[in-house]
Amino acid sequence: MRSVAPILMLIALVVGAVLLDRPQPVADLTFINRGEVHSLDPQRMSWLQDFRIADAIYEGLVDYDNDTFEIVPGVAQTWEVSPDGLTYTFHLRDTAKWSNGDPVTAEDFAYSWRRALFPDTVAGYADLFFKIKGGRAFFDWRTAQLETFTAQAAPLSGPERLKLAQAMLDEALARYEQTVGIKALDAHTLAVTLEVPTPYMLDLLAFGPFKPVHRPTVEPYVKLDAATGALRQHHGWTKPPHLVSNGPYILAVWRYMRDLRMERNPYYWNARAVKSDSVLCIAVEDANTAVLAYETGTIDWLSDVGVDYRADMLAQKQKYMDRNAARYDELRAQGLGYNEAMAVLAEESPPQPGERNDIHAFAAYGTYFYNFNCQPTLNSGAFNPFKDARIRRAFARAVDKSAIVERVTRMNQPVANVLIPPGSIAGFEGAKGIGYDPAKAREELAGAGWEDRNGDGFIEDASGQLFPTVEILFPSVAEHKSIAQAIAHMWERQLGVKCRLREEETKVQATHLQEHDFMVARGNWYGDYGDPTTFLDLHRTGNSNNDRNYSNPAFDELMDRADRELDPEKRMLLLEQADAMTINEELPLLPLFHQVTLYMYDPAELRNVSTHPRLTQFLWEMEVVK
Amino acid sequence: MTAMLVRRLLQVPLILLVIYTVTFTLAWWLPGNPLDKPEGRRPDPAVQDAMKAQYNLDDPLKFYVSYLDQASGVAWLRGDSRKVFNLGPCLQYEDWSVNELIGGALPVSIVLGMVALVFALAIGLVSGIIGAVRPGSWMDVATLLVALVGISLPSFVIGTALLIVFAVWFEFVHVAHWGSPRDLILPALTLSLPFAAYIARLTRLGMIDVLQSDFIRTARAKGVSETRIVLRHALKVAFLPVLSYLGPAAAYVMTGSFVVEKVFNVPGLGQHFVNSVLNKDLFVIMGIVLTYSTMLVLFNLAVDVMYRWVDPRIQLA
Repeated sequence: MRSVAPILMLIALVVGAVLLDRPQPVADLTFINRGEVHSLDPQRMSWLQDFRIADAIYEGLVDYDNDTFEIVPGVAQTWEVSPDGLTYTFHLRDTAKWSNGDPVTAEDFAYSWRRALFPDTVAGYADLFFKIKGGRAFFDWRTAQLETFTAQAAPLSGPERLKLAQAMLDEALARYEQTVGIKALDAHTLAVTLEVPTPYMLDLLAFGPFKPVHRPTVEPYVKLDAATGALRQHHGWTKPPHLVSNGPYILAVWRYMRDLRMERNPYYWNARAVKSDSVLCIAVEDANTAVLAYETGTIDWLSDVGVDYRADMLAQKQKYMDRNAARYDELRAQGLGYNEAMAVLAEESPPQPGERNDIHAFAAYGTYFYNFNCQPTLNSGAFNPFKDARIRRAFARAVDKSAIVERVTRMNQPVANVLIPPGSIAGFEGAKGIGYDPAKAREELAGAGWEDRNGDGFIEDASGQLFPTVEILFPSVAEHKSIAQAIAHMWERQLGVKCRLREEETKVQATHLQEHDFMVARGNWYGDYGDPTTFLDLHRTGNSNNDRNYSNPAFDELMDRADRELDPEKRMLLLEQADAMTINEELPLLPLFHQVTLYMYDPAELRNVSTHPRLTQFLWEMEVVK
Repeated sequence: MTAMLVRRLLQVPLILLVIYTVTFTLAWWLPGNPLDKPEGRRPDPAVQDAMKAQYNLDDPLKFYVSYLDQASGVAWLRGDSRKVFNLGPCLQYEDWSVNELIGGALPVSIVLGMVALVFALAIGLVSGIIGAVRPGSWMDVATLLVALVGISLPSFVIGTALLIVFAVWFEFVHVAHWGSPRDLILPALTLSLPFAAYIARLTRLGMIDVLQSDFIRTARAKGVSETRIVLRHALKVAFLPVLSYLGPAAAYVMTGSFVVEKVFNVPGLGQHFVNSVLNKDLFVIMGIVLTYSTMLVLFNLAVDVMYRWVDPRIQLA
């Protein structure tokens, strides 16, 4: 029976292994996030899905209201702003506690923000902390200091190198204390001084990177590195049972690409506001499987719907809404919000075959656009027609955006003539931008010296030179490809130019964007905070996200003036001027449509989903009623 | 035998070094920045430089040497590292080390692979024997058909079809759920089909051959029952080609189940491997390649040893 032995061994192993692995118990709320969480260290995170979890397990000084996005107290109970708008003094509530029972102190915030301002931490959002007085200068100083380490440490042995690194660190800490405007005045008072008045500072403070970490938990994972002299952050502390947090939930389980489970934080001061006792986030990579998981009831909320499903599901939703249009309008007129109205409708008029009421499209705080390369010449040294604003405007006018959202994406996103989604920022009246007008487009091209002089259907300049072939760069993703094809076709037909599609793997394309190695390229931007600068900064000379390499001293001057302006209203006026300059006249980019986020949930079962464009969903506010 | 084992085991580090070098060269020259977030916001240039320097991503030679040092266990022997094999951090999923990632996912892939192998053997051997005993009968044709389907239909089609039937219609299993024995059945079945088909063909051919040989005729003449002849005498010989196929098949089912893992949302290593290449996550690519190659080399060795144990006539060089 020797030949059967391997098989028997195999079966025994399998049975043993299966018995060892147990599934998670059911949670009050189960959902699929936009992707796997990258990091739960607030100072190092930069992905939407990470921030969503951060909002559930950490609490900042202040918070947003989920519906209005007004600032409400968080750990800070009250605060004052000095008349010059430069100094903020926060008074922390003494009921705020960490999940191990320790009080949350001003020192905790000072420590957490210092982590972000040390280049050693490599915090992705470090530049948001540069608003704080001395922040940028310290960051640069420490970077320069660390650069001298290698040379100084070269002749030294291991322990001596560490001694040198420690000496440098002590020097840096002393300098930080003297120069950076963050001071814990006592256990419950924190004073923050800014570089320039920043009217949206409180908005920033509610954002993920400003949330606190528990110092005694983090410190053991921070070590000086003998090779570089820098402080190295190791990440064991972000995983249960080590993680200590101060928000509505604590992390109970986190398994990579598998699941993340949160349970009520017994020490949270505002426990009454927390609706569900447990939240389970499961990681699903495949878009089909995610939709099936929703359809079969495994999850309550799907926070992103696969491309292949979108258009058809939205059409089914439209059928449902058309049938119930009168009643829906009536409910909304009675003052019900979208979700409440949908919940009533679900009771009164369940969807019929071929209809659905569980897909929801919400306007998001982002815009899909095309970048024009604004450099004097292309990277190859070739002539760049798009350095001329008249040509950029002409190309913008030749794109029929409603045709794209109706027939190409088939999602009916709001057509965009501007970068900043209208109405998304209180007190900001954005410009109108320029729309579809092919006749005007040809006129502008002719004004720039390009018209069809010999009747061959293609435009030439005065010397008879053909317009350079327009190369459109986009990532190798089906939806971007169809949009690129449609736009190329519109330009060819309306303007008499030749277009070439340049499809590249996502990461390769991203590198070429950063290197400005393109003529026209697909682009995308989501705002981070509630101020126009989160969009307008893109156009500043030298900004790390200025893929277009657009540089306009007049624009930079306006933005600098806005930075120095103390009066919030005057500041907004300056920003409106800057916005109008870029979107009515200069067009470094061509907005196509504002982004839409798709969710799947049963409106009768899931409560308190925020419909605000910023789409920061607070998991602790959501509730499943079955 | 022992000398052979020692010699073969000594070759392992050398093979792995070659694989490491080739993979490193290929992965390093993959275009794209591993720290980049294609849809996201780019940090300040100073922060970007600090990020690169932190992981030695600015110097290929430094990266090659320091990674080898950590991953091979040399750093541990020197006392510089607390982990024996430190495969480095994940670049995209910063809170995880490659060791944690492989530690969590590899057992899942191995369990799934083993269950699939058991299924493949069960289905393959049974249908192979039926086919051989009654060649040309309707049962033979039926098993042939199953084998044909198993080999020709891609697993994402079979997997999705099984999901719709058993999870959506009959609600026998949960979608995107992992942890109970029931969750294993569909993915293991999907994964096993191509192997089952191949094993069925191998068994059938071997059996037909053996059933016509002299010693079987002698056994029949002695009055041994037909069942005993097939299961006891013929299968033992016909199983040898299947056994030699099991080595590569085992390595393959445990490592190459990317599509199946994706469709059934199994938290195994295959998904991480493909994602790591898309993310250009150097540490994860290297870590998984090294783990896979170690497994592959050891499996082949194990099969060679087992082969000799089953059939002592075989001499191993």
